[in-house]
Amino acid sequence: MSEPVRLAPPTLPRLLRGAGLAVASLVLLLYVLGPVCWLLSSSLQTEREIVSIPPHWIPEAPTLRNFEAIVATGLGRPLPTAGPDPASGGFIPSTAANLLPAMLNSLVVAVSIVALNLLVAVPAAYALAKIRFRGRQAALYGILATRVVPDIALVVPFFLVIRKLGLLDTLFSLIVTYLAVTVPFSVFILTSFFEQLPDDLDKAARVDGCSRVQVLLRVFLPLARPALVAVGLFAFLSSWNEFLLALMFTQTAASQTLPIIVASFTSDFTVSFSFLNAAGVLAVVPPVVLAVLFERHIVSGLTAGAVKG
Amino acid sequence: MQVAAPLVSHDERAASGLLLPLGVVLIGVTLIPIAYSFWTSLYALNLRRPRLVPFVGLDNYGAVLSSPAFIAAVARTASFTVMAVTAVSVIALLVALLLNQEFPGRRVLSACLLIPWAIPSVANGLMWKWIYDANYGALNGLLLQLGVIQHGMIWLGDPSRTLPLIANAFVWKEVPLAAILLLVNLKAIPADLHAAARVDGAPAWQRFRHVTLPALRPGFTLVAVYEAMVAVRHFDLFFLLTEGGPGNVSDVVAWRVYVETFRNLNFGLGAAMAYILALATLLMSYGFIRALAQRV
Repeated sequence: MSEPVRLAPPTLPRLLRGAGLAVASLVLLLYVLGPVCWLLSSSLQTEREIVSIPPHWIPEAPTLRNFEAIVATGLGRPLPTAGPDPASGGFIPSTAANLLPAMLNSLVVAVSIVALNLLVAVPAAYALAKIRFRGRQAALYGILATRVVPDIALVVPFFLVIRKLGLLDTLFSLIVTYLAVTVPFSVFILTSFFEQLPDDLDKAARVDGCSRVQVLLRVFLPLARPALVAVGLFAFLSSWNEFLLALMFTQTAASQTLPIIVASFTSDFTVSFSFLNAAGVLAVVPPVVLAVLFERHIVSGLTAGAVKG
Repeated sequence: MQVAAPLVSHDERAASGLLLPLGVVLIGVTLIPIAYSFWTSLYALNLRRPRLVPFVGLDNYGAVLSSPAFIAAVARTASFTVMAVTAVSVIALLVALLLNQEFPGRRVLSACLLIPWAIPSVANGLMWKWIYDANYGALNGLLLQLGVIQHGMIWLGDPSRTLPLIANAFVWKEVPLAAILLLVNLKAIPADLHAAARVDGAPAWQRFRHVTLPALRPGFTLVAVYEAMVAVRHFDLFFLLTEGGPGNVSDVVAWRVYVETFRNLNFGLGAAMAYILALATLLMSYGFIRALAQRV
């Protein structure tokens, strides 16, 4: 297999390698982006176009009607009048008005989760990384072990307690449960990051008379910026994307998050396919933009546990 | 030295202060609920008759474990997990091998790779449901245009295809993370191992087979255990794509817990099932957690 390659002039194997890489890259790109492009393309099609056979891969008459309807109804205005395509207006459900408030709910929960994660995880990770105390290893095991419990096992007791406290259908119930679900991973990433920072930093600052909290705030936090960004992003994304717990604890538009509203459309057979895809696009855009912008932070955060820290 | 040493050594009081918020969260919102869940699983609690809650001991567990429906759900979950983990591992290996090469556009490609990982599972479910749609979906459209099929298929409605198709949607979203983890492992393989094999005249395939693959063992273990944990408990796609159907071909354990608890309102029985699922994942991931905790 390698013999003919070795005998050939040096440009041929390089050419073959280039062609192979190009084909492989293209296949990967199609695999990754194909489904998403189809989602986006469908969201821009009219009611008539979306039911054409074979499907139109690129919309012939792209329209933002779905997105206009979502914004208009979300702001309490009536549906924009249907244009030359008489079918389009009727397929937009009246519950379209819930999408913007749901997005706001998702945002409030996600931002709270980011703040609380940092508040809880940073001191804990510092203690686990830089203070030798009895039970340190056990504490790490315990923290990681809580994430092995499937969310569905927590749902029953959560539900019973939240119902008893009268907190069903509040954002508070989501914030509390999401915090418990996201914080172990944050602690883990930050602990492995703090571990890499030299102990001498800690010692020097302590000799200079800094308290533990001062060392953490003045020495470690500024150095830990990339890890903090990664942890914040993970917390934001897990909260924004969470479905199961929100499905159980929310009941009305007061607390329903974006995934819940989007999921409610998928089981409604009267909803237009193009509107359905527009709702999907709405849920997809914020996390995808964050992921692409902060790719480096995310990858280094995800691999923090995979390589020996 | 004499001053510095005690500063880093045992300092239980400082540590407990810094760990307190985390402790409150984990004990309050994880440990107590887990205990409460066990307590619930010992009662025949059904919200349809909230006044009558007899203590039944381990009867719920007996009922779950002896129920043919539950055993069948376990088998389906296992088959879904095996399909999903195998496919994720193989595709992620190919992706990692590609991204381990240097070529123009590699950075753009790895940024795009994160997109499926970032997408909410609900949007992922919606997207694949639309792709699989029997009337206007992209899969039928594509295969018809390519001439692979002569008439549209009812993809998710075909019992023999349902689980593989759900697994496919799951795999699409999970490949990026697995590929990133394998790529880190690939990059950590010492270059002189390959150089030595090349000097010995080993062809590319043999170098891959005898140098690269064995060195990827830790990465594969990590990926396999993590993905198995995620697949065993996966709920969202089953909810969005099939709701356990058609018939009961996609009635997996996580879906069973949901139906028993929130549709039949059998909280005691649901809690027992959830507990069995939790113990199973805990056992599966014991080694995984040990390995992770020892790294820090």
